[in-house]
Amino acid sequence: MNIRNIYISLLATATLVCTSCMDDTDEPDTNTFLVTSTENIGEVNTTIYELKNKFSSVLANNNTFEKVNTDIVFEGVVCANDEGGNLYQTLIIRSIDTTKPTTDDAYDQCISIGIKNTFLSPYFKLGQRVKINLNGLYIGNYSRVPKIGQPYYTSKGNLRLGPMLFELCKTNIELVGEPDLSAPELVPIDLTTQEGIAWLNNRGNQTPYHTPLLATVRGLIAEMQGIQSRIPATGALSGNDEPLPKIFAPEALYDDGYAVDRTLNYRSDKTLTIRTSTQNECSFLHLPTDVRSYTGQLTYYSNWQLTLRTITDVERYEELQ
Amino acid sequence: MLLVLNVAIASAQSDVLGVVVDAQTGQPLAGAALTIAHTTQGTIADANGQFRLSALTLPTDIVVSYIGYQEQTVHISSAEPLRIALATAELYSDDDNSDFTFTESQLDDDSDVSQTVTSVLSGNNDPYASKVGYLFSAMRFRVRAYENQYSQTYINGLLFNDIERGNFNYALIGGMNDATRNQESVSHHEYNHFGLNNIGGASNINTRASQFATGNKLTVSVCNRNYKARAMYTYATGLLANGWAFAGSVGYRWANEGVIEGTFYNSLSYFLSAEKHINDKHSISLATFGAPTERAQQAASTEEAYWLANSHYYNPNWGYQNGEKRNARIVNDYEPTTIITWDWDATTDSRLTVSGGFKYALYSTTALGWAGDAYDPRPDYYKNLPSSVFDVYDETKNNGEYLAQNPYFIDQYNTLLNHWTSDKANRQIDWDRMYYVNSVSEANGGEALYYQERRHNNQAAGLLSATWKHNVNQHHKYTAGIFGNATRGMHYKTMADLLGASKYTDLDKYSVNDYGAKSNEAQNDMRHPNRQIGVDDKFGYNYNIDVLKARAWGQYQFAYGPLTANAQLGVEATSIERNGKMQNGRAPHNSYGKSGKAQFVGSEVGASVTYHPGANHYISVGGGYAAIAPQARNSFVSASIQNNFVNNLELEKILSGEASYQFRIANLFGKVSGYYTQFADQVEQTAFYNDQQSTFTYLTMSNIEKEHYGIEVALNYQILSSLSVHAIGTVADAKYTNNPLAQISYEGMDYNEVQKLNSYTTPSGEAEQLRVVAENMRVSGTPLTALNFGINYNINGWFFEANINYYDRIYIAFSPYRRLTSTYKTNGRVYTPSSVDNLGRLAYEVTKADIKENGGLLYDNSGQFVKSYAAHQERFSGDYMIDLSVGKNIRLRRKSLSINLSVNNLTNNTNMRTGGYEQNRDDYYYSESNGIYTKGEGKAYRFSRNSKYYYANSLNAFLNIGFKF
Repeated sequence: MNIRNIYISLLATATLVCTSCMDDTDEPDTNTFLVTSTENIGEVNTTIYELKNKFSSVLANNNTFEKVNTDIVFEGVVCANDEGGNLYQTLIIRSIDTTKPTTDDAYDQCISIGIKNTFLSPYFKLGQRVKINLNGLYIGNYSRVPKIGQPYYTSKGNLRLGPMLFELCKTNIELVGEPDLSAPELVPIDLTTQEGIAWLNNRGNQTPYHTPLLATVRGLIAEMQGIQSRIPATGALSGNDEPLPKIFAPEALYDDGYAVDRTLNYRSDKTLTIRTSTQNECSFLHLPTDVRSYTGQLTYYSNWQLTLRTITDVERYEELQ
Repeated sequence: MLLVLNVAIASAQSDVLGVVVDAQTGQPLAGAALTIAHTTQGTIADANGQFRLSALTLPTDIVVSYIGYQEQTVHISSAEPLRIALATAELYSDDDNSDFTFTESQLDDDSDVSQTVTSVLSGNNDPYASKVGYLFSAMRFRVRAYENQYSQTYINGLLFNDIERGNFNYALIGGMNDATRNQESVSHHEYNHFGLNNIGGASNINTRASQFATGNKLTVSVCNRNYKARAMYTYATGLLANGWAFAGSVGYRWANEGVIEGTFYNSLSYFLSAEKHINDKHSISLATFGAPTERAQQAASTEEAYWLANSHYYNPNWGYQNGEKRNARIVNDYEPTTIITWDWDATTDSRLTVSGGFKYALYSTTALGWAGDAYDPRPDYYKNLPSSVFDVYDETKNNGEYLAQNPYFIDQYNTLLNHWTSDKANRQIDWDRMYYVNSVSEANGGEALYYQERRHNNQAAGLLSATWKHNVNQHHKYTAGIFGNATRGMHYKTMADLLGASKYTDLDKYSVNDYGAKSNEAQNDMRHPNRQIGVDDKFGYNYNIDVLKARAWGQYQFAYGPLTANAQLGVEATSIERNGKMQNGRAPHNSYGKSGKAQFVGSEVGASVTYHPGANHYISVGGGYAAIAPQARNSFVSASIQNNFVNNLELEKILSGEASYQFRIANLFGKVSGYYTQFADQVEQTAFYNDQQSTFTYLTMSNIEKEHYGIEVALNYQILSSLSVHAIGTVADAKYTNNPLAQISYEGMDYNEVQKLNSYTTPSGEAEQLRVVAENMRVSGTPLTALNFGINYNINGWFFEANINYYDRIYIAFSPYRRLTSTYKTNGRVYTPSSVDNLGRLAYEVTKADIKENGGLLYDNSGQFVKSYAAHQERFSGDYMIDLSVGKNIRLRRKSLSINLSVNNLTNNTNMRTGGYEQNRDDYYYSESNGIYTKGEGKAYRFSRNSKYYYANSLNAFLNIGFKF
């Protein structure tokens, strides 16, 4: 091989070596990322309480809803999201109106928003104030829980008010400011006191104005008491733990809603349901045998029902993992 | 005296003199081989390129070949001196382009481009097989619809088919067109000097430096295909006076963005060969080569996604990151290979060739991964598509009245439609979003929820072969050899990119959901529980597949008068073993360590006879039987998890037969062939996410039986010395002929539950092994009808070629899951008679049209099986493609320049589907009670109507300039 050939070969090789990896892209700035509107979606012109008044007819019945065709804009703070996976495609927006007396229903109101995405919490953090324009969306209730979303057919073929398309966040939702973890909307209503228990027992509170709520309740899990405690666990938690512990939501026990109900005695003769979806971190939490406090989304269907947001909503949850 | 005269007239024997020269330079080609067609008789041109063929019976055909040149068949009808000009291979556009004609769009997610390359099956002198490879390559034509594993590629006598996967990886020699041009190709029963050839034929690449055309060659190409530019430089010394010969080649292929949006190509290739002729009898050759390549892939998508993107070349694999395009599926491939060869010419009629080779393949492909509840990041994920809102294929819903009553469907449909069509970024991967989610997760004390993983399929292979050939006399010759291959496949994945995050825990996300993050099942490696994974760390799975293969073989040819007979015999032993490097929590007792060996002893026999009553007519028949080991890649239930071999793992049996007639009548030259091949005990495997069970699923079909048969025709008519037309075509069938046994494995599922899901209960209550209703399903991804008509014109160094090709009967790859007997049962597609008429005929409550469309199983009143129907398999409509090629060869004293422009798909037909696959998901929700599954409501999204498709390239051109100096 003569010098010229060697030179050409080396030149070609050098050119190639200099051509480095093509799969190399700069990291994006994550501080400016939004899935919601970057523009003003309209001025706030109503409250959650007023909304419930305005659409009281579709909130009074079960699984009814109505389309909103005007710019109805309200504001609130995200007090529950899907961070723990137990709430699915759901945010709870809460608004506390300090201009109203605490005894007034208008003082503290929540509404559920369904959004079609498996993981909303990065975009809608706890304490984040949001503005929502209902134009084009539907308002109604899902199993008596006041809700904003869009209709869909369930896997059982039933027409329900389901989540709105995630893509509509870009047009119908605007973030206001930064998340504030000290926002009063993040403080759950304390139903562990005698007054709280009385509140739970008051049938007059079983209305759309009192559901959903961010609340804390306290009591004993019935499945871990007395004779029930001796019934072996049923369910999928496996591994080397024998006998298997009872957990909040083994797959073997799920119902049509892919969730498991556990009974909480918040008073010796009064119960509410702790409803937990399967396949999330709360599902595998061991059922406690002692009295604990539980925080989460409180709703009313045929009884009060509490849905934990994350495992940290259970008092001393570390002992139950 | 009279008697002698009569003999002389009857035999008409003559001596023919001639010379063989380079068609471009006119230089004599010393050592060119001349063989009387279909015999072993012939001669070699001397140092001046001159030859004498003695006692020829005229007329006859002789085959003239020389390494680096196109083989030529010359018809001799008189004893006049001949001047035979051989063209170098680069004059032919198809050779230069042959490795460009496949696109990433034609690949499965985890496949390599090599697997889509048209089967090699070809005899150099076969007018059909030598042409179809490049003529029909745009449509991924596979000769006789054989999978690529049935074609074999040797290099210096070493069989380089991957013994884990069966196929030859063409990326091994990518960009080395000039360096690997020295090839001998043979069809199934053709006698050769390098090894047993399978039903798909075989090629042997010769890398000996002395066999390269002496001099320099520079090739520069531009095109609009997977890459945009290519440059290759090759230099060969020829055999020097000191007995040494050297050859080297370097090439580069590049595209910052290929013709498919979001793809790129970056490939270097090198080839070095040295050969020493120690003396007249011994020579040693050493060759090393490799082609480090980085390329971005395209993925198939649904027709709906193509429609929304307004292009059949929509690529869901890429998206914007910080405003720049980034592809999620990057292939890195580098397979450095070294071969050493010793040739010993023991006598003038016998040669021993011993070759040893080593290959270390570094192959990986990246893919997005996501954990926890993170939303599926694929832009064409079905929930993102407008048709996921309501069943648009249901006429009772997709009509004005229903939609007026349910206006929210149209609202949502239009929202998604507008989202897809309003901004290109909306229909691509949102990298920024993944970075954002990860940043939030880490800020909250979590870890990466999105990441890019790199799936490695590395391989170390040592190969050894020894071949002895002996031309005993003009009637008898034989070749015998041994071959060994020890391959270790190393399969694992590493973290390629944490997408802005800094940590990730090695847990299986499906098991986290099913059993909890603290369960053993969630651990991918129980010996390193909760291992924290950084970039480049191994995670997920890690195992080796060790395959050993040894083969002894022989071929014999007998030629006497008009009769030539060949016989082949081979025996081989294969062992397959998995060696797990992780103790997987879903299979704690059978994932770590060795599986034990599955051993197979196979054999192969074949024979063919050719009868040529005159020089212009050759009639051949051949047949063979082979029992070969199953592919290692299909031998384990779920190789990434556990050591278990699949059930019913047996030798695959192949019975084949073919007949052909090759002729020359005046100016018409052609060949007509018919073939029949029967496969038994094949194994096929597929893996997919199963949303019914919410887990990853492996489905293996075994005891598969298939038939391939058809006719092949090649005709060439020389109108003028410069003008010819040709017609080439095949009409074939390739189908499953039974309902194969099925074995399904759900990752992490309880053993007893898996067992239940692997059984099927007939209407009479008998439990049977699960089967896939596949009878009469067609082999997919290749046209079973392919027809060509072409015209060639040559004048003053210019050549023109035009081809029109018609393709039809291309079938989609069917979903075995949707055709499981258990799926049919759950979906209510198992029928017993509703009545019996007077003639005893059974009537069922299903129409023939329905059962042919959706499949089903029929039983009689006593529960005995009557008939099965596989659900309809989509067949793509036939279509045409026109290709043109024009070129010019310019001689410049001792130099030459060749220019070639080929334009494919001249009419820019962008609607030609080359293949595709059905999604392995069902259209219905299931409900389960005590292990019994029943069909529920139909899903809004109809998976059965949303298969994924590949399309042939649009109008594309390739300009190639070659300069020899």
